[in-house]
Amino acid sequence: MKQHLQRQSGVANVDVSLIDGKVEITPKEDGKIEPAQLLKATYDSGVSVAELDVLARGKVVKGSSGSLELQIEPNQSFVIAPNELSTGLEALADSATVVTVRGQLYKKPGGKKKPDTSAPLKLTILEVQKKE
Amino acid sequence: MNRQGLTLLLLAGSIFVPQLQAQIKHIEMRVEGMT
Repeated sequence: MKQHLQRQSGVANVDVSLIDGKVEITPKEDGKIEPAQLLKATYDSGVSVAELDVLARGKVVKGSSGSLELQIEPNQSFVIAPNELSTGLEALADSATVVTVRGQLYKKPGGKKKPDTSAPLKLTILEVQKKE
Repeated sequence: MNRQGLTLLLLAGSIFVPQLQAQIKHIEMRVEGMT
């Protein structure tokens, strides 16, 4: 799995902890990393992903459907799932403020439901670390 | 400002600007079935 992930674009380093089932991925400074591709690459290597969390820096924008999104790059953004913390970010929508957030992009569905790794990832904000 | 000062200012700018860019800084996955 480590080799599978290290081959993905934008990945600088992969650290696997077998004891607690944790995989830490450090993106390249200047590279674009696609969490959906990492999710797919992990499944393709025969390992099931329970959760995928990110620490990201970006601008809060209103998407075409009116939903709140975290824009990482002009062509990379994630729809923000509404929760208590996301309501606090609404005021920053389409402003120049850059926020650093910790959030969850994927959580394995409960029960015997087959996970859909091709579905668009939604960002559930877990912590707003910085507003600049 | 003289030319040397301006060069230093531009150099400092090029060092700090990438750190202000939006980006994914870290990803952590919890996986199951790993041997």
